[in-house]
Amino acid sequence: MDLAVDLSGITKRFGAFTANSGIDLAVRRGEIHAIIGENGAGKTTLMNILFGLLQPDEGTIAIGGKTMIVDSPAVAIGQGLGMVHQHFKLVPSLTVADNIFLGMEIRRNGLIDRAAQEERTRSLSEKFRLRVDPRERVAGLSVGMEQRIEILKVLARNARTIILDEPTAVLTPQESRDLFRTLRSFVDDGMTVIFISHHLEEVMAVSDTVTVLRDGRVVATKPKSALSKRELVRLMVGRDVSFDRRPRGQTNGKVALEVEDLWVRDDRQLAALKSVSLSVRAGEIVGIAGVAGNGQTELAEVLSGLRPASHGRARLHGQDILDLPPAAIRAGGLAHVPGDRMVRGVDRTASLSANMLIGRHRRAPFARAGVIDWSAVHGEMWTLIRRFDIRARGPEDPARSLSGGNIQKVVLAREFTAGGDVLLIDQPTRGVDIGAQEGIHDEIMRQRAEGRAILLISTQLDELKALADRILIMFDGRIMGAVDGAAMDEDAIGLMMAGVDPADMTEA
Amino acid sequence: MEVLGNLFNIALLVATIRTTTPILLVALGGSFTTKAGIFNIGLEGQMLIAAFFAVVGSIYTGSSLGGLLIGVSAALLFALIYAVLVVSFRANEVVVGLALNILAGGMTISLLKAIFGTRGSVVGRGIVGLPKVQIPGARDVMGSSAQLISGFTPLVYVAFLAVPLLILVYNRTQLGLYIRVVGEKPEAAEALGISIARIRYGASMLCGLFAGLAGAHMSLGYITMFTENMSSGRGFMAVAILIFSAGDPLKVLAGCLLFGFADAFSLRLQSFGFPSYLVLAVPYSVALVALFALSWRGRPKRLRETAETIRRALSVHPADAGRDAPASRS
Repeated sequence: MDLAVDLSGITKRFGAFTANSGIDLAVRRGEIHAIIGENGAGKTTLMNILFGLLQPDEGTIAIGGKTMIVDSPAVAIGQGLGMVHQHFKLVPSLTVADNIFLGMEIRRNGLIDRAAQEERTRSLSEKFRLRVDPRERVAGLSVGMEQRIEILKVLARNARTIILDEPTAVLTPQESRDLFRTLRSFVDDGMTVIFISHHLEEVMAVSDTVTVLRDGRVVATKPKSALSKRELVRLMVGRDVSFDRRPRGQTNGKVALEVEDLWVRDDRQLAALKSVSLSVRAGEIVGIAGVAGNGQTELAEVLSGLRPASHGRARLHGQDILDLPPAAIRAGGLAHVPGDRMVRGVDRTASLSANMLIGRHRRAPFARAGVIDWSAVHGEMWTLIRRFDIRARGPEDPARSLSGGNIQKVVLAREFTAGGDVLLIDQPTRGVDIGAQEGIHDEIMRQRAEGRAILLISTQLDELKALADRILIMFDGRIMGAVDGAAMDEDAIGLMMAGVDPADMTEA
Repeated sequence: MEVLGNLFNIALLVATIRTTTPILLVALGGSFTTKAGIFNIGLEGQMLIAAFFAVVGSIYTGSSLGGLLIGVSAALLFALIYAVLVVSFRANEVVVGLALNILAGGMTISLLKAIFGTRGSVVGRGIVGLPKVQIPGARDVMGSSAQLISGFTPLVYVAFLAVPLLILVYNRTQLGLYIRVVGEKPEAAEALGISIARIRYGASMLCGLFAGLAGAHMSLGYITMFTENMSSGRGFMAVAILIFSAGDPLKVLAGCLLFGFADAFSLRLQSFGFPSYLVLAVPYSVALVALFALSWRGRPKRLRETAETIRRALSVHPADAGRDAPASRS
């Protein structure tokens, strides 16, 4: 068997924690090999070991049949390995060609030879059918284009085996499909692709072989044809998890949140929301779909009072909220789960109790005569830890000692118990494990059943499919269209996410 | 009209070129650190220490070149200390810069007393100034305007020729490219195996070199003397110019010319009998107003963050202040 990469018995410990435990991974030349597992399963550690960023405590690495010590990325690159990182490392003020050749500039007489670099970029771009303009500056390019440049960067270094770390997290469904086509063409040319993901659908869509990691161990390596989605989840999580649409009762509650012709500017003073109108009824979940950066963040910020509107109206239970400070909007009944939990969700150095207390520190029973009663605060936090199944040792743990999913549960616990009857939830499960996602979805459905009005912003269509009653699709600050959550057409949503007007779609 | 004619003439332009030189040199030095993502507030101290040691070196070696070399070495030593503390030990760049500025101020005063036994300033005593470069044939071709290009000390030419040189460095050389990458996107540099620390050390030393030249120009250029605190805030003005120019050589030149012109102009006003303490404030006020008028955008990340930290520390209720402004709605 012709192996591009052969890892055997790889073990890596960080102190008492074992990130990788006796991992065997054999990647055949010319296949797309997916490595799937939850956060903390050891995927990234394993790839960092293969790429020379970390040294294994035990085990051997063979690349192209030769056993070797990979003690720096330079060694890995020299052996024809290339890595496309999850967070792109492009320099915005440089051109596409400059970025591709950064670190291996073509020079003549000591000066960088721009013309030669652009020429090489053009020929690479044609050879691999990845269209780019070598002279364009990277600033302002779309994420899909940036990824294309990252891939070209790897190809320019003569990679024959390409590792992609969570490559589709930032792409539209169409861009993802383009990427998969590209990867498939690489494999047809005899190259090898290793694909790290926790996204089931795309693993099923693109890979030949799947290796599942759980808790630092390989639980299975199988050809994709021998796996079903349900089975993959069970292997990843260790139990059955359902992502089907949640059953629900009818809703015909009163309109709780109403937005009319809302315009908002972003930090660069450009229009981020363009005439957005929507309404959310009590007992209803309205989903906002869209690729990140199409105005969703600004929508959440303006509704929670963190950003001024330039035009339009927003009413919470009939009361105008656009001119109110965040505290007044909260007092009016809106709870906000911010999209970036580390920035606006929690103070990561503060204790869980303190994080729960924020915003209700003047209220009984937490404050008495202006003095905080910490025993009451800790008591309440204990209750929340149990109710929301937060994995922490106790209320006095600092927030940063928790995993991402548990920090998110702290935020949800605070917001869902704040007494608001309108919930503005931005990316509830971003970076959260599948197992924990299920619990969060359960809690959101419980809030719906209790008659709360929920505006749910998510970039994950699966999530909206499971939860939302109606889905609005945002592109470039506008609502492109709405679809019924029960009968959703993923293709139509994908096209709207890419900016295609639904009115033009029937002919397509 | 006659007054204006007396105020604006070739002599004023020549004076502008002279007064621009030290701030241009030091600001171009700061351009390296700014592009590399270091907010270097220590320019003033590096310049001052170089001015002092240039005088000492010139007396000791009996040559202006010796003075220049010793002055620049002193600035390089300061730049090295700065880099060790800021890059290797990750100390706060503003604190270290300020500390070194204060050290330079105090050290030159004490050494003045220890070496020369005087206070305030040291003049004569065998200080050799930099020679003037006469460009041959300039007077034949250009007549009286020849003084615009000929007859300056070498560092004047160095300063102005450094502007296109820096543009070339930033755009066409590997070092320049790496300096920009390290300042703009350190993660990218790291991923490609470019050593951030090494590039920042390099940028810091280049900065020391130019700040040293600026200092030597002050004490060995047109006046051959050292006075306490003779850099008189030029290093800080250079920092201000760097903030609005983001280290871009052409914008640095524009900012420095503006300051140099205001400086020369104020000297001219002085000879017309305006009160000197008001006149001396002219270059600083002009530069401040100009900086104020210019936008804050486009600065490298580290600089922006530093400025933001300072702003946050200074303002108590930023959110409330924004909310009170009715102009935000249209």
